[in-house]
Amino acid sequence: MPWSRFDSNYEAPAGARDITYCAAIREAIDQAMCLDPRVFCIGLDADDKFGVFGSMSNLTHPDRVLGTPISENAMTGVALGAALSGMRPIHVHLRNDFLLVAMDQIANYVAKWQDMFDHQVKVPLVIRSIIGRGWGCGAQHSQSLHGLFAQIPGLKVVMPSSPYDVKGLMLSAVKDDSPVLFLEHRWLYKNTGNVPEAMYTLPIGKAATLRRGGSLTVVATSLAAIHALKACEQQELDVDLIDPRTIKPLDLDTILASVQRTGRLLVVDYDFPFAGFASEVVAAVCERAHESLRQPPQRLCFPDRGMPSSGRLERAYYPTPERIGELMRQMILGSSIDVDSFVN
Amino acid sequence: MDRKATFKREDGLWMLRRMRLIRQTSERIARLYPTNVMETPVHLCIGQEAVSVGLCRHLRDADKMFLGHRTHGPALAKGLPLPKLMAELYGRTTGCSHAFGGSMHLIDLEHGLPGSSAIIGGSIALGCGAALAAQLAKQDYVGVSYFGDAATNAGVFYESMNFAALRKLPVLFLCEDNGYSNVMPKSAHSAHDIVSVARQFMTTLQADGTDVLSVYEHTGEAVAQLRRGEGPVFLHCATKRWMKHQGHEACDIVDSGIDRERDCPIRKLEAFLLKSRLLTPAELVLIEQAVEAEIDAAIQFAESSPFPDPSLLEVS
Repeated sequence: MPWSRFDSNYEAPAGARDITYCAAIREAIDQAMCLDPRVFCIGLDADDKFGVFGSMSNLTHPDRVLGTPISENAMTGVALGAALSGMRPIHVHLRNDFLLVAMDQIANYVAKWQDMFDHQVKVPLVIRSIIGRGWGCGAQHSQSLHGLFAQIPGLKVVMPSSPYDVKGLMLSAVKDDSPVLFLEHRWLYKNTGNVPEAMYTLPIGKAATLRRGGSLTVVATSLAAIHALKACEQQELDVDLIDPRTIKPLDLDTILASVQRTGRLLVVDYDFPFAGFASEVVAAVCERAHESLRQPPQRLCFPDRGMPSSGRLERAYYPTPERIGELMRQMILGSSIDVDSFVN
Repeated sequence: MDRKATFKREDGLWMLRRMRLIRQTSERIARLYPTNVMETPVHLCIGQEAVSVGLCRHLRDADKMFLGHRTHGPALAKGLPLPKLMAELYGRTTGCSHAFGGSMHLIDLEHGLPGSSAIIGGSIALGCGAALAAQLAKQDYVGVSYFGDAATNAGVFYESMNFAALRKLPVLFLCEDNGYSNVMPKSAHSAHDIVSVARQFMTTLQADGTDVLSVYEHTGEAVAQLRRGEGPVFLHCATKRWMKHQGHEACDIVDSGIDRERDCPIRKLEAFLLKSRLLTPAELVLIEQAVEAEIDAAIQFAESSPFPDPSLLEVS
């Protein structure tokens, strides 16, 4: 199998090129398609001139990039049928919200197919989707919903925050023999970082520690991780910042070890709060490291309502690095906190 | 066409055996079901055997067929070994899905059954996916989406036909039209005429789904088009469901129009084979007896197989 050739995990070597998050995705997809003729891309507007915000522009094998009608549900089934027939599809969506149109196929078919047949079949299917935010995109073009998807057994949910992670995890996702939901935040696309040109994989289910500190553990993914990092740097906070990189499987060991050192936990999660990823992390830490907690854990999520459109309302709705920083500072000081005041 | 002149004894034997296997297995399940040895919802297909058997005589193991919830008949027709079916119904580890699937989720990778689904309609798309894989990998197998009349009300049916037609996929849309969505007659569940809708997208063919030779002849034409790479085909097979939607009891819908003498696909084929002198009455009896023995052995296999250990549910 071609995928066994580069099984080792790289640390980003110093002096590698700086490229954008978007270019790192494109490079991973292009290399995967060149390595393995079974890999193909399919999706609404997958083959148009914009190349899915540039993430699929000028690929080496355009014959394996298939545009589809607006039929997300059936196209997910088509991708699954192809995966069950020996191909390795990458099904792409321009917005996460569109995944809900395909929820029957995603939740009842893709996620369940291996369990229903006791894993006699491989389902090497990657569902890529992009999270939007801002510019009045509103309630149906700005959702993340990673907590919802992670609740469904049979789906791996990956959401990298850096160019290095996004390339390595994309290659791991394509290499994986089970379905992977791969979520990319649109606001990360222009970020640059150190990315080796050679192919490499990163383990699905292993967190990255973005900053070491001793006073507060912050768990944040995707854009939230970048915002939390910025807040730590701006306010010079003594924070242990963990980016799980994969929502499911979740690297609880890294989170628990950190909380046991810091005694404090904040989860910054750019998703709805109720029964979500932040709730899961808090519950798991309370179950397993309750004695380490010096104060109640906190969650910073979106308000429990759909996204507004007006810029004025958007700026009030979304957490920002400034608000994250203020909440972190107050937690470290141990003052009583009204987390709602940081959301609205 | 003069059937007598072209029809081969081996085809007749194969189809009679498969139809009898499905019929007699279904009847045995119906008898055993009230004893609760099978803890799984069963959707029997007594009276509908001609559709899957006429179809599968033209399919190869490499052709990939995706099914809905009414699985037993098409799965046995495609080649699923009976012991694996019975063990799955009995919830044993030796079942085709290792006791994780039950009646509605059957699989047999050796015989081109990559799995079946209990959500109406969705597996239509999976057959198209198999066909897309064949097209991209330049393989000569075909995909088969096997569904009932009620599935044509789901959006996925329209989406799949559109995509299959746009890409000229080698996929057969096989509609086993038994006239009912649970207890709702077609007149109440479909404002559309199914074949007319399909004709907007692809070649359509219509067979008598109570006559295995009719299904066999039309499938031959359909599969030939698929293998020539001339795009998808829709094959409509009107048949009759003798049983209730689910369970072991006979259909009790008033005015269902079922006449078990007139509409029986097995009687029709047997009459043809006798009249054509392709089989003797004695051979018919032997076939029936051999199938009964096969069912006895399959049940014995299921009953003597182990139940799964709950430790299998542990998540790593």
